Amino acid sequence: MSAILNPLYSAVSWVMITFHNLLGFTNNEDLQWSVGIIGLVVLIRIILIPLFVKQIKSQRALTALQPHMKAIQKKHKDDRQKQSEEMMKLYKEHKTNPFASCFPILAQAPIFFALFTVLNGISKNKPHGFLKGEYLLSAQEAHFFGAPLSGTFLGSTDSRTKLVAILLIVFMSATTFTTQRQLMVKGMPKMDASNNMMLQQQKIMLYLFPVIFAVTGVNFPVGVLIYWSTTNLWTWGQQFYVIKRNPTPGSPAYEELQKKKAAKGLPPSNSNDSANGENGTTVVEEPKGQRVQPRKKKKRR
Amino acid sequence: MKNLAFTLISFLITKYQKYFSTGRPQKCKYYPSCSNYTLLAIEEFGVKGLFMSVWRLMRCNPFSNGGVDYPSDVSRVKLKERLMA
Repeated sequence: MSAILNPLYSAVSWVMITFHNLLGFTNNEDLQWSVGIIGLVVLIRIILIPLFVKQIKSQRALTALQPHMKAIQKKHKDDRQKQSEEMMKLYKEHKTNPFASCFPILAQAPIFFALFTVLNGISKNKPHGFLKGEYLLSAQEAHFFGAPLSGTFLGSTDSRTKLVAILLIVFMSATTFTTQRQLMVKGMPKMDASNNMMLQQQKIMLYLFPVIFAVTGVNFPVGVLIYWSTTNLWTWGQQFYVIKRNPTPGSPAYEELQKKKAAKGLPPSNSNDSANGENGTTVVEEPKGQRVQPRKKKKRR
Repeated sequence: MKNLAFTLISFLITKYQKYFSTGRPQKCKYYPSCSNYTLLAIEEFGVKGLFMSVWRLMRCNPFSNGGVDYPSDVSRVKLKERLMA
């Protein structure tokens, strides 16, 4: 276990210290350490952007497979297993799998755990990775709006620390809530009765997650809360951008964008899938065989 | 002891499926999903199944195209029976 975690401790602490040193000219330890944590988030999320873009692109490429998918659903109406199998085969054949994949999600857990341990180490005077000696001492003194980075809501008697922790927890819950809601209201194709159960469960999640955050957040150091709040804010912003500029076809946001474009006299966009007709009349192109992916030509990045 | 560990893993996975993953968008690129694969694999192969699941999780990455992937042909039938029930 420590074979996996030790390099992560080093990596996490190195990034924090690098940002801390980069801002050395400000001579403000509070700012330097807070930015160290925020910088860590921003760095991780920037690294993940290409993966996110890749996923969005394969999701959009699905519109071209719509006729196939409908056919599969119809053919295997009563056999969910067969239906899923055929869908997966279709994605694989066309090399556009719309799902995010499990590994990155699971891989984030050790990073978060490492950060948690490193930040907890500050309050317990335990060095991890490069965060030792002088750095450890200066991090112990660092504050975020008057609350020590290592302080927790439950573990502190200082009302200032409690206030900052609570505000961060509220912020975390609010961003999670609005991100999920934004996706449900604007970002997804309208659901019909067959998806009703899924919608119900999503509604439960919508309210359950902020509650879970509130319950667990009281045990987390302010530094971890900063990390979490920044991640949530980033997720929200990223989703906001995608919904506005490149919404899922069929979603309310997509219709809005089309209306806006029509008002400006622009041709309706098809989110870089030229083969997909807008009004559903020209959709039935090349129903069989190997379809050449139009997005391959346009290689950004 | 070994059985206890497997029971615990299965318990955690089913709870994850019930309370966490339902109602959120599908993440897995394979069928059956990584969680179902793990359930089937450790049930049939024990420790070897655990390694198979780790290998499966590592294959479920942004660069793979997914597909249909069962631990064995037997497990395919097993999953079918479970879905029918």
